[in-house]
Amino acid sequence: MQVELQAHIAFHLTGRIPQGEGDALARSDLQPALFAGYRDLTGLRYDFPLVLVADDKQPVLSLSALLDGAAKVVAAKDDGERARKHAVRLQREIRKLIAEGATATLFKLCDLAIERLANSDEQLGKSLKDLRAALKKDGEVIDCDKAMPFRMVQHVWKGLQEQKAQKARAAINALIMKLSDILSADFGHSKEGMSAERLQAAIGSAHRDAFDFAAMSRLLTETTINVPMAESRRQRIRSLLSTLRAQRFFAPAVDGDKRIGVGEPYSFLFENCTEAVAAYRERLPKMTELAKAMAMARLEADGEYSEARHDAFFAGFGDNGLDADDIAVFPDYLVCVNTNDLRAAETDLILRAFAAGMPVKLAVQTDDLLEQSPIRDDYVVGGLRGRQLASSAIGLGLPYVLQAASSGLYQLREQIARGLAYRGPAVFSVYSGANGGSLQPYLVAAAAAESRAFPAFTYDPSAGTDWASRFSLAANSQVDVDWPVQRFDYEDADQQLVSENVAFTLVDFAACDPRCGKYFAKVPRAKWTADLVPVAEFLTREPGDLAEKVPCLLMVDRDNQLQKVIVNDTLVGEARRCVEAWRSLQELGGVHNSHAARLLEQERKALAEQAEAAAAAVAAAAASQPASAPVAAQAAPVVASSTAAAPAVVEAAPEKSSDDPYIETSRCTSCNECTQINDKMFGYDANKQAFIKDLNAGTYRQLVEAAENCQISIIHPGKPRNPNEPGLDELIKRAEPFL
Amino acid sequence: MTIHATECLLRLHDEHYELEDYQSGVPRWCTGCGDNAILAAVQRLCRDEELRPEKTMFVSGIGCSSRFPHYMKTYGFHGIHGRALPVAEGVKMSRPDLNVFVNTGDGDCCSIGAAHWIHGIRYNMNMTVMLHDNQIYGLTKMQASPTSPRGLKSNTTPRGAYLEGLNPLTVTLGVQNVSFVAQAVDWIPEVLYDIIRAAYHHKGFSFVRILQRCPEWLPKMLDPWVHDPLKINLLHHKNGLTLSPNISKVYRTQEEHDPSDIHRAREIASELDPIPVGILYHDPHVPRYEELRNAGQQRSTRFIKAGFEAELDKFTVWPAADAKAQTGA
Repeated sequence: MQVELQAHIAFHLTGRIPQGEGDALARSDLQPALFAGYRDLTGLRYDFPLVLVADDKQPVLSLSALLDGAAKVVAAKDDGERARKHAVRLQREIRKLIAEGATATLFKLCDLAIERLANSDEQLGKSLKDLRAALKKDGEVIDCDKAMPFRMVQHVWKGLQEQKAQKARAAINALIMKLSDILSADFGHSKEGMSAERLQAAIGSAHRDAFDFAAMSRLLTETTINVPMAESRRQRIRSLLSTLRAQRFFAPAVDGDKRIGVGEPYSFLFENCTEAVAAYRERLPKMTELAKAMAMARLEADGEYSEARHDAFFAGFGDNGLDADDIAVFPDYLVCVNTNDLRAAETDLILRAFAAGMPVKLAVQTDDLLEQSPIRDDYVVGGLRGRQLASSAIGLGLPYVLQAASSGLYQLREQIARGLAYRGPAVFSVYSGANGGSLQPYLVAAAAAESRAFPAFTYDPSAGTDWASRFSLAANSQVDVDWPVQRFDYEDADQQLVSENVAFTLVDFAACDPRCGKYFAKVPRAKWTADLVPVAEFLTREPGDLAEKVPCLLMVDRDNQLQKVIVNDTLVGEARRCVEAWRSLQELGGVHNSHAARLLEQERKALAEQAEAAAAAVAAAAASQPASAPVAAQAAPVVASSTAAAPAVVEAAPEKSSDDPYIETSRCTSCNECTQINDKMFGYDANKQAFIKDLNAGTYRQLVEAAENCQISIIHPGKPRNPNEPGLDELIKRAEPFL
Repeated sequence: MTIHATECLLRLHDEHYELEDYQSGVPRWCTGCGDNAILAAVQRLCRDEELRPEKTMFVSGIGCSSRFPHYMKTYGFHGIHGRALPVAEGVKMSRPDLNVFVNTGDGDCCSIGAAHWIHGIRYNMNMTVMLHDNQIYGLTKMQASPTSPRGLKSNTTPRGAYLEGLNPLTVTLGVQNVSFVAQAVDWIPEVLYDIIRAAYHHKGFSFVRILQRCPEWLPKMLDPWVHDPLKINLLHHKNGLTLSPNISKVYRTQEEHDPSDIHRAREIASELDPIPVGILYHDPHVPRYEELRNAGQQRSTRFIKAGFEAELDKFTVWPAADAKAQTGA
């Protein structure tokens, strides 16, 4: 034993496997133990794949949620259990198709899957087609892969931009119409406008000969008091019109609105920050001009533009930059950039653009968290560029910041939409997990989030003025502990069930990556000793307590055999650093906040001192008056008597008119008496308690019979509805006791 | 080693159960029978607690009540007369992870199965036992049962029953290790559900006697109590049942009773009119037999094989020399 322990410690400290001891980790083979069961993701109903639909409220839906919804619709009509099962099969088949690399819309994938499932079974095919028909929304289906984060962000962004554009287009169109009306009204009042030819042109050809247009024109021009519009105003309106018509910020609507967007519309989607900033800079004069034109046009349309007051103001419009309301009308710039392409100068530039208030939304994707160490021939868990950007952005105070692994993006969809709709800059830092390894990106991303290697948080300056309302860690699992702990069940060699609580640490995350293989060594089962302690436990111990202990990890191989691997000190050090970073995030998020704890301690102390002082005062008072100590104060509190107590709150019973039949459903004992009489009239609710399903499905006689048969008399037949029913007099008499 | 799939890292979409997921077939009980109310309450419990059907087990003996497992879409064991409890105890012993329910009747439990009942209470294994007490043998068409009241005329007692009916509550409360005793009536479904739910949540032998109507053979017997809410004494306490305002309004005879008070519980149990309804006794600290005996060791293939071999060996004719070796002589 001693020899083995020495070998284990040697590996832990030096990374060298002594001859004949231990076993170099056969890398591709092992996965963290908690991954057992996730070998085939296509069989699991989790958040992905996602469906990107054209919907303002919920632009991103999960496939499972969509199909479950469809199954519910079908199940309402037919055999529910079957429909649900078929929906699950269809989901699995679609997941398989996507895993095989299919890219198509939901409807197409559904059709493909149905074709594959139902080639032999006609009945199944029909049932699946019903399901397919119940699907109301189509859209692109995307799995959790390298391209997913940007596609999702862009999809949500496009939806929001379209909403914005619609509003802006409507406003611009209305202004153009009003200004044009002003011009044509002015023209109509001018001499040319009232010339005989004009007047003639204004009348349809059928009655053209019935009028003397020359006389009409003469009359009109002589009698109307003609005050022509000032030339300067006419010029101004014309120039406003041309500015409004020539704007390129909002593309014309798809349904063919030709009034605006004469020039090629600008694109607001960029692949690097430099271009985005340059474009913004270049377009700024145009933007100012359009904002100015809109403000002036509004005044003109209302007839409130006064040259004396407004000319000077508008001459200097936008010199100090546009205000937030003006900027909010314009489209936001979206930059989607991978951290591999993000140079330091770019980061610097974009941060300065943020500070200057440029309305840019920046999506940064990190594909690989392992980075080459600059000082050794080694890897460190980093992803620094993305994280740095996020924390610098928070430091600025103004931007909206969201950081998350791609596995959590669906859960954060509302926060993403909120960030994109935020009036100001925003940063979305995403870890995709697509590091080119053999594990599915989803699992890698989920492992990064779970192991605190890439924790999720949001910083929303619009949510309030303090950190408590702005900063949220809620998207992480088990926020209040260092490492999330999961229950892990397995069978031992005697096939007995063993349950363990296993923490998922940074070391587990590193163990997913073959490049970290050299930090692990597999220990043959014969050499599993008590000196091997789980990494999470190892990390919590005091360094002095660690002599003769070696940190180890539970892993599983391809056959789901449990293995233990020991971990090199390098990674343990990484894990220590990671948990430090996590703890400081926790403090920001209000979990185990040291300032709060210190304050609490102070308050407690003060309270205890107060109580002590009060007790001392009472004791002193009692000592001075020993004879008159109040006895009642020492008596035990009076025990509540066991008499029937009327409940404090009595719900007011809804007043039922005795004319309408009803059942006291909550008292029903489900005994089938009434449903046997008429199961169309009486039905059971979700709790299997009776209610009147359809009053028209039966007669008054049946109501009375049901009331008589009901063992606990909860059916009240009311008054008959059909005065022509035979034998009514007798029935009314029979119904009397139950009214 | 086989590893069970765990639910971590992934956010799996929850399965939600509906009442229909637990319904199986149309009950063959008579129209108006109180068993229907118990079935509905139990199905509601299963749905609300999201009991997985494959992890849930209903065991019964013989009688009207004991058809219960047929109508639940879970595992079930329709056993032999009076032996519902031993079967359930065996299930619990070997599979403590299952939710075990027992449905038994006044004949099944209090007559032929009485010995098992007494010892079942003493063993205190974690299961919910529902005694469907209609005070008559219904399945065999009206013979007096142990709980039939004195004077009840039936096919076996044409001159009226000679003996006072047995009181299952006082019997149960008199046995060592009793840990949960409650009484419900089938015609107050809300309270019935609450009691069964409390019984399910108790970790131990939860005994619920349910007074139920038999519309076929004793159609009017419980009518005075069914139609007069004042003849029901509802027990409530912060550690027992809390009554909803609607129930409180209708059933005004109430008593605050602390379920940890066994002496008062025994007094209440002896009261026949008004009928006490609620949790009479509850002690969560009584040790459970399956825990004392470390139940739930999964049987390894080696263990099962050895057991089979031992059984077969009983019938093996051994050569003289081997037989010696076998007997260890």
